[in-house]
Amino acid sequence: MDPTVLLQQVVNGLSIGLVYALMAIGFTLIFGVLNVVNFAHGEVYTVGAFIGLLAITALQPPLWMVLGMVLLGGGIAGYVLERLAFRPFRRFRDEASIKSKAMREATLLSSLAVSIIVREALELKFSGEMQTIAQTYLLQTPIQLGPITITDGNLIIFGLSVASLGALQFVLYRTRIGLAIRAVSNNVLGAQFVGIDTGRAITATFVVGSMLGAIAGIMVGLYQGAIFPQMGFEPGVKAFVAMVMGGLSSIPGAVVCALILGVSESVATQFFSDGWKAIVSYSFLLLTLWFFPSGIFGSKKEKM
Amino acid sequence: MSTRPGEQGRRDEAGPVKTRLNALLVAGLVVLLAGLVAYRSGYFNQIAITTMIFVILAASLNLITGTAGLLSLGHGAFFGVGAYAAALLSTKLGWPFWLTLPAAGAIAALVGAVVAVPTMRLTSIYFAVATLGIGEMIYVTLLNWVGVTRGPMGIRSIPGMEIFGLQGMVFNMAVTATLMLVALWLVHRLTHSYYGNSLRALREDDACADAMGIDVGRLKLQSFGMACCLAGVAGGLFAHTTGYISPESFRFGESILILSMIVVGGLGSIYGSIIGAVLLSVLPELLRDLGSYRMIAVGVVLFLSILFLPRGLVGEVSAIDLIRRQVKRDPNARRSAW
Repeated sequence: MDPTVLLQQVVNGLSIGLVYALMAIGFTLIFGVLNVVNFAHGEVYTVGAFIGLLAITALQPPLWMVLGMVLLGGGIAGYVLERLAFRPFRRFRDEASIKSKAMREATLLSSLAVSIIVREALELKFSGEMQTIAQTYLLQTPIQLGPITITDGNLIIFGLSVASLGALQFVLYRTRIGLAIRAVSNNVLGAQFVGIDTGRAITATFVVGSMLGAIAGIMVGLYQGAIFPQMGFEPGVKAFVAMVMGGLSSIPGAVVCALILGVSESVATQFFSDGWKAIVSYSFLLLTLWFFPSGIFGSKKEKM
Repeated sequence: MSTRPGEQGRRDEAGPVKTRLNALLVAGLVVLLAGLVAYRSGYFNQIAITTMIFVILAASLNLITGTAGLLSLGHGAFFGVGAYAAALLSTKLGWPFWLTLPAAGAIAALVGAVVAVPTMRLTSIYFAVATLGIGEMIYVTLLNWVGVTRGPMGIRSIPGMEIFGLQGMVFNMAVTATLMLVALWLVHRLTHSYYGNSLRALREDDACADAMGIDVGRLKLQSFGMACCLAGVAGGLFAHTTGYISPESFRFGESILILSMIVVGGLGSIYGSIIGAVLLSVLPELLRDLGSYRMIAVGVVLFLSILFLPRGLVGEVSAIDLIRRQVKRDPNARRSAW
């Protein structure tokens, strides 16, 4: 096989892997603090893309302003999501209720219900088809880089993802609310005993996670030129896979696995037709679950 | 005690009131179906058949998710395996319907068992993720293995049901209704017995159940295989009654719809899965006038039922209730469902 083609695919895979990583971080953060899976995360991604689209069609602002609006909208979406689908089911009274299966399953299904409602509402408003995006905003200008061709979208995704990851590290390790989030994800009761407002920390987790998801949505929408109500499903599942491979609550693990997924999917298109490439991530998922039942980077004791 | 334990168990379960109620329900079903036939509307008949197929699917998912506590997010895919097996066997090999239907069940059970073996030691969320992955893999295979499944075009003109020259909509309905009743009876026997109680033990704490001497792996495999088999039969019915199938009918959304049915109806309850299945397959049809609002309505119903009815419309018969009822009815029973 031609090495330049391979290199090209690796570069494409890295940028899509970074998008999966941004999504996976949202999953992982939320799983870390609440031990639940947020099935509406894919819809946060879609909502991010649609907020960007609305901003572009209504105001034609510069790109950085679009991104700012998407961040804001994603944060609000995360806040509302937590209020609607998670808070009503949460009862941190004692050890048993935190680990209870009932809470986990109730929130899993309630987030699923919210995701159905959001997706169908978007479909009702905008119809199921791809939306038209103003040409000037598409991140598809080709850039020749030695033997391979990349687009400005690749560069922007790369830069923004790295910046977001850096910002996340800053929030988690340099701010008070980040400290609270880490404390809650370590031990909810302990956090309550030392006077941390757990409700606030959990809300903050949803806001931060959803901001990352929303920004991933608009970047992919502009990079691939495709914004439609169902767009959140695939990356949502892939990010979920990355989170599980990474060991459910390890952020570095999720990022590494997301990159592995992105690159291997992209390289796989060299060997299979496009339709089969989804198989790759699911095979990875099953192989991981068979050989490393608690994820590649998961600690042994955290067996669910 | 002169009766054998098996017989005694059965008598204990089906008290006279329950039997009368069930007989009444079956009679009601027959009257309803006869009414629909008399009304001569293909549309309503098709809804009735689809609803009954969903009742089978909901009951089978309830066996693994409600009773055994294994959250499966890929049930729609096994439904699809059954549908494709039946469709391909009858269109490509010309098998008659009475052979394709059991074959559909067997193939779905086999696929279920093969994928289940390695996932059996996974619990809770990992099991859910594994079934999600398997479901998507099956979907991708159905979509892309164009040589066999014809991919997104789907399979057309699948022969209808026919035995001894009997065929047509009325026959379809009768067969579907009969198989639905058989499936419900099967799931009822599996859940309201010692076997069902060991499945409940599995759900509450599988490590503890293991320590009590319950063969956790075998039990999970059996219940998963049986649920997949029933889903496969439902798929066969679907293929033969609609005459056309495509991969889109068996995607993640379908699995979620079935899951919603048992959540709304009540996890672990057979009456609950019937009510949930009827509600969620008839409701979208009733709301057809509202056009595209109907899927939103399904989402809202799901959300409200989780919020206000955490145990579903019909709660589960808990193991302790089951024992209490048996002891009350027959205080001298040597083998209660301990």
